[in-house]
Amino acid sequence: MFVSTYRITKFAFQNFWRNFWLSVITITMLVMTLVTVNILLILNYVTDQAISSVEDRIEVSVYFEQDTKQETVDSAVSYLRGLSQVRDVVTISPDDALKRFTEQHKDSPVVLDSLNELGGNPFGATLIVKAKEAQDFTQILDALENPQFRDAIREKDFSDYQQIIERIQGTTERIRFFGLVIMGIFIAIAILIVFNTVRIGIFIHREEIGIMRLVGASNWFIKAPFLLEMILLSLLAILLVVAIIYPGLAALEPKFSFFFANDSIGLIDYFEKNGLRIFGIEFGVLVVLTLLSTSLAMRKYLKV
Amino acid sequence: MIKFKNVSKMYPPNIVGLEEINLHISAGEFVSIVGQSGTGKSTLAKMLFAEERPTRGTIEIGGWDITNIRSKDVPVLRRQIGVVFQDFKLLQKKTVYENVAFALQVAGVMPRRIREIVPAVLNIVNLDKMHERFPTQLSGGEQQRVAIARSLVHQPKVLIADEPTGNLDTLNSREIVDLLQRINEFGTTVLLVTHDREIVNRIKKRVITLEGGTIVSDVEQGRYKL
Repeated sequence: MFVSTYRITKFAFQNFWRNFWLSVITITMLVMTLVTVNILLILNYVTDQAISSVEDRIEVSVYFEQDTKQETVDSAVSYLRGLSQVRDVVTISPDDALKRFTEQHKDSPVVLDSLNELGGNPFGATLIVKAKEAQDFTQILDALENPQFRDAIREKDFSDYQQIIERIQGTTERIRFFGLVIMGIFIAIAILIVFNTVRIGIFIHREEIGIMRLVGASNWFIKAPFLLEMILLSLLAILLVVAIIYPGLAALEPKFSFFFANDSIGLIDYFEKNGLRIFGIEFGVLVVLTLLSTSLAMRKYLKV
Repeated sequence: MIKFKNVSKMYPPNIVGLEEINLHISAGEFVSIVGQSGTGKSTLAKMLFAEERPTRGTIEIGGWDITNIRSKDVPVLRRQIGVVFQDFKLLQKKTVYENVAFALQVAGVMPRRIREIVPAVLNIVNLDKMHERFPTQLSGGEQQRVAIARSLVHQPKVLIADEPTGNLDTLNSREIVDLLQRINEFGTTVLLVTHDREIVNRIKKRVITLEGGTIVSDVEQGRYKL
């Protein structure tokens, strides 16, 4: 068994070297396909981060009347927290609201003077409501129309980020669609190139294959080197992709961070944590595709 | 040993390769199969190592019905049958030793065993001193002896020689036939497919004559009649 495995491996490497330039072209095509897949993955991650970053900033500020009782505010908080669309509710007491206002306008004596003239604290309690999804805000705003505290609410302030999110999603969908089309084309080309590589490999080794059959080599022994060669090419392709992707991420990350107000989007971190899984799955799928193509070529050209 | 029962081979659309062949060859026999080109000699030989399948009839070798042999069993059959062709089928980039060893390597034989078998078979064909030469450095007769040595590595029960002297001069042809006879003396059944009159007449053993895909004569110690 060990001897046969060694000989099959030797024949696989012979196929690779005797067919060197074709092997290079095959690997290049596999690399291009995998790079496209990874660009789509990166795009997916960045979009998710962008949407979640925008969603994080969306909130409804609910300002209560100055004389609203604490129980009314508390009941509004409980009610809102009970809604499935609500992610978080932060309560700002009238005192905190005053402090915030003073802090924000500390360089504006006119505003502070006006505040002093009013005497006392003119602010009521404020609720900052964060939703799970951007589209949930309509329902939250509707919920605030509850007669139990509707009249205690002085004002609701809501910034509409829905359009921004829709724009991000729309652009991403279009890029993703083109990416998928390009990936499909690359996969088709890669399959055809693998098919052709195996065909030429069979042609180059036709004499050896003929003799192998004649002297009683098993079908598996004849076929295995071609299958192993394609696994080898897939492995080289995935290693090259890893070597391309990580430096690429290091170069891209600062550029993305620029769009995210200098916050790291964690792209490198994401690939470091999930790299083994991502590239493992990609390698697995690639091996299945190349082996499928190899099997088709062998069925057509390798009569054993 | 070898039994053909009502074996026919048809090629599309309606070409007769072999028709109603009934044949029995005992173990240890030396049989020459003769006939003009296109009479089905090679087709008959190819059926013995499952390169061709019969359209009708049954073929048995050593009690094994190989008529509809499964693809995975073909290598097992071929390790029991040595085959030699007119064009030698040697790998030009391998030495004599490597060519012979190749047959054992692809069958999964251990290196130590290969080192024992290859010199032994090269000795049988009298090429032990030429084991480092490449096929291009050998005469036609020597190349055919390498092919015979390779066919012997699995100690086959049957040796099929399909026009083994077709590319050789008279002297080399005689050497090859003498070698085949020697191998036959060791107990291996030999089937010699040929249309070389002189060789057949010289062997003086069983001769089966084919014409138009059918056996027209089967004679012990026969001669080339056509």
